[in-house]
Amino acid sequence: MLSLIAKRLGIGLITVLAVSIIIFLGTKILPGDAAELRLGQSASAENLAVLRERLGLDKPYWQQYLSWLVNFVQGDMGNSLSGDTPISGLIADRYQNTLIVSGLTALIGVPISVALGVMAAMFPGSTYDRVLTFTSVTLVAAPEFFTATLLVLFFVLFLGMGSTIVSGSTDGMGLFELIQHFALPITTLCFVIASQLIRMSRAAVLNVMASPYIEMAILKGIPRRRIILRHALLNAIGPIVNVIALNLAYLITGVIVVEIYFSYQGLATLIVQGVQTRDFVLVQSLGMIFCATYVVIMLIADIAAILANPRQRHPK
Amino acid sequence: MTKYKLNEPDFESMSLEDRQKALGMVSKGATRRDVMSWMMGLGATAIASGSVFGSATAAWANTPKKGGRLVIADDQHGPADTLDPALYASSNDYFRGRMFFGSLTRLTNDLSYEPELAEEVISNADATEWTFKIRRGVEFHDGKTLTADDVIYSMNRHLGENTVSKAKSLVDMVSEWVKVNDYEVKAVLSSPNADLPIALGTFHFKIVQDGATDFSNPVGTGPYKVAEFTPGVRTIGVRNENYWTDGAYLDEIEHFGIGDSVARLNAFLNGDVDVMANLPPKAIAKVQAAAGKEVWSVKSGAYINLACRMDLAESNNRDMIMAMKHLMDRERIVKGVFKGEGSLGNDHPIGPAYFDHCPDIPQRELDPDKAAYHFKKSGIGSTTIPIVASEIGPGCVEQCLFLQREAKKIGMNIDVQKVTTDGWFSTVWMKAPISAQSWNMRPTANIMMSLAFKSDAAWNETFHQDPEFDKILVEVRGVTDPAKRKEMYCTLQEKIHNENGCVAPAHRNYVDANASYVKGLAHVPINNFGGSECAPTLWRDDA
Repeated sequence: MLSLIAKRLGIGLITVLAVSIIIFLGTKILPGDAAELRLGQSASAENLAVLRERLGLDKPYWQQYLSWLVNFVQGDMGNSLSGDTPISGLIADRYQNTLIVSGLTALIGVPISVALGVMAAMFPGSTYDRVLTFTSVTLVAAPEFFTATLLVLFFVLFLGMGSTIVSGSTDGMGLFELIQHFALPITTLCFVIASQLIRMSRAAVLNVMASPYIEMAILKGIPRRRIILRHALLNAIGPIVNVIALNLAYLITGVIVVEIYFSYQGLATLIVQGVQTRDFVLVQSLGMIFCATYVVIMLIADIAAILANPRQRHPK
Repeated sequence: MTKYKLNEPDFESMSLEDRQKALGMVSKGATRRDVMSWMMGLGATAIASGSVFGSATAAWANTPKKGGRLVIADDQHGPADTLDPALYASSNDYFRGRMFFGSLTRLTNDLSYEPELAEEVISNADATEWTFKIRRGVEFHDGKTLTADDVIYSMNRHLGENTVSKAKSLVDMVSEWVKVNDYEVKAVLSSPNADLPIALGTFHFKIVQDGATDFSNPVGTGPYKVAEFTPGVRTIGVRNENYWTDGAYLDEIEHFGIGDSVARLNAFLNGDVDVMANLPPKAIAKVQAAAGKEVWSVKSGAYINLACRMDLAESNNRDMIMAMKHLMDRERIVKGVFKGEGSLGNDHPIGPAYFDHCPDIPQRELDPDKAAYHFKKSGIGSTTIPIVASEIGPGCVEQCLFLQREAKKIGMNIDVQKVTTDGWFSTVWMKAPISAQSWNMRPTANIMMSLAFKSDAAWNETFHQDPEFDKILVEVRGVTDPAKRKEMYCTLQEKIHNENGCVAPAHRNYVDANASYVKGLAHVPINNFGGSECAPTLWRDDA
C-alpha cells in the first residue's frame, strides 16, 4: 500500500512538472507579454524595454522558466507581473473563498446526491426513479449561469431574500453564517454536481446489482434494501468515489462562471485575470495549485476505492 | 424666471461667506423677513432679497447630512489595482485616488479648475511660470502638516527620464519644481502652458507624503482614510475626521468592481450596491422606470471612431475616407446604441463638452449621394475594405455594422472583422489599416489633440502628418486672448474634420446609476462617477 502511494506521488510530481512547462509555453504563445499588456495604450519602445528588464522578461525563455521553478520550489511564488503585489497574498485571499464554497458544497451536495442515487437504484423504474432521472438529466443540460439566474430570479427578486452578489468579508463567520453568506453560489454548485453524482451512483449500484453474487443473494431471499446497502454498495464505491473526486476538483478549479456571476473573488477568476494580463508567474503558481489539487484528490479517491474493494489491491 | 439687474446679488453669485451666513440664518429658523432685512441692510432690493431667501431654503434642503455608508460598484478590478497615484491605470484607481488624496487644483463641472490644496494659483504673463501657494493647516491622515516638500516630492515623481508615471506627457513641459518657501512652490516651464493647473487637477497628480514609496497603505490628505485595500477584492475608506474642508460626509465607503455588467445591474437594482459604474445602454430605460433609482449621465467629449491609417496605401484614399464619413448614420448611433445618452460626432475629437469646442463647423450627416460621389471618385470599386473591431467600448462594433449596411447600398464592400478585446492594444491598434476605437475625454482640447493628433504623438493612430496643424497646436498653448484662441482651435478642429483619417460618428455620455438617496454627485465629464470627483461630496439623504 505504501509503495503504491509513493509511486502515485512520484507520477504526480512528474505530472505537475510537465503541466508547469505546458502552462509556461502556453502563456508565451499568446500574443503580447506582461509588459505590453501592463503598459497598454501607453507602450513605447523605451518604456517597454525598461519594464521588460525589470520583470525579467528580456531573458531567454528557459532562464525565465528555471528562475521561476527554483523560486517556487523554495516556497517563493514571487510578485505578480501585472501589479507587483506578492502572489501569495493574492492567492491567500481567494483561496479561502474557494475552499469555503467548495467545502460547503461538497458537505451538503455529496451526501444528498449519493443517497438520492442509491435510493433510485433500489427501485429502478419506479415513479421516484423516473422523476429523479428526468430532473437530473435536465440539470446536467442546464449551464451554471442559467441555474444561477433562475435561483436569483426566484429567491432574490421574487421572494426578496438575500443579495444578488456575494460581498463583504467572511472574517469571524461561523458555519451557518458562511452557508448563509454563500447560499446562492453553493446552491447553484450543488445542482451542478448533484445531477452527475445522482446518475453515476445510480448506475454504479445497478451495475453491481447485475452481477452473479447479487443474484445469489436475491435467490437466498435477502431483502433488496439489505442487498444494496450491505453487498452492492461497497463494490460500487470505487466508481462513485472517482466521480466525487472529479467533482471536488472541478469545485476548486472550475467555478469561474459562478464566481463571476455572484461577483466573489475565487481562484478561477484569478487565473483568468492572470491569463488576460499575460502574468505567467501568477498563472503558473495557480496552475501548480490546481494540478496538485487534482493529483491529491485522485490519489485519495484511489486509496478509498482500494480500501473499499480489496480485489483492486491486486490489479490483473 | 425673473431676471434681475446684473449687479443685484442672487444666491449663486453671492460670496461664499454671505451664502453661508444666509444658510446659517435659514437653518436656525430665520423667516423670509429676517433674511430680507439682513440683505436690504447690505443694500439689495426687496426682489433680490426675497429670491435669496428662496434659494437659501432650497439649498438648506440640499445641505449634506453626516453619516451612513455607501457601497460603490465600479466595473473592472483585479490584481493590478494600485494606490500609487503615478501608476493609476483604471477608473477604479481614479476613484480611490479621490477618496484618499487631495491635489493642488480640482476640476469643476465646466472643466475649469478651482484651487484645492493650493490656496492660490498664479501664472506669469506668458504662462511659463506657475506659482502655487499651499493651503496652510492641511493635515495628512497621520497628523503631519502638508508643506512644500510633500508637493515637490509628489510632482517630481512625474518628471525625468526614469519616471514610471502614466501621466508624464501632461507635464513634460515642466522643467523643474522649485520650493520658494514652506508654503509656496513654483513650476518652471520650458514652453508655455496656460492649462497647467487643469492638468494638475487630473487623476495622477495627487499629493503624497514626502519620501513615500510604499503605497499598500498610503497616507493622504483626502476625505477618507484607508481601512482596507485588497487588490481586486475590495477597498474600504473611513471618514477622515480631520478633513480640511466641507466633505467626508459618510462614515464609510466600500468600493469594489463587478466585472460582469448583468451582475452589476442586478446588484444595483436589488439594492446590494448604492452606485454602479457604466450602466449598459440597454438598461437605461429599466433604471429610469425603477423606483428610487436614477441614471447619472454626464455629457462628455468621449467618442468612438474609425481610425484609417494615412501612411498605408490600402487605407489612405481620401475619397474612400470621405465616403465613410458621409455614410455614418450618426443620429441612429446616438439613439440606437447610446439610447440618447450621447451626442453627434463631427469627425473630430473636440465635442461640445470641451471648453474649446468649435460650434461653427457644419454637422456632417448621413448623405448617400455625397458618399456615392466620393466612392466613385475613389476608384476602389468592389475591393473589400476590412475594418477590425472589438468590444473595447460601447458602440465600437455597432458603428462598423451600421456603416457596413449603408455602404452596401452604394455598392461599397466593407468587411467587419470582429476580434476579442484581449491584447487589442498590442496586436491591432495602430497596426491594422482601419480599426474601430473608443476614446475617453481629456480635460482640455489641447491635451486631447496633443495626445492623439499631433504628427509626432505616440498615439497618433491615423499617422496623419500635418506640420501646420502641429504649429498651431503648440502656439495656441500660450495664447491668452479669447478670440484668437477660439479662432485657432476652430482651425485645428476643422483640419481634423476635413483632412484626418478619423471618422468619429458619436460622443458618448458617461452613464452611471445611483440610488435616489445618494446625493452630492459630481458632473466632471472626463470619466465615470463624475470624473471620479464625487468621493469628497457624496452623502446620504436618509442618513
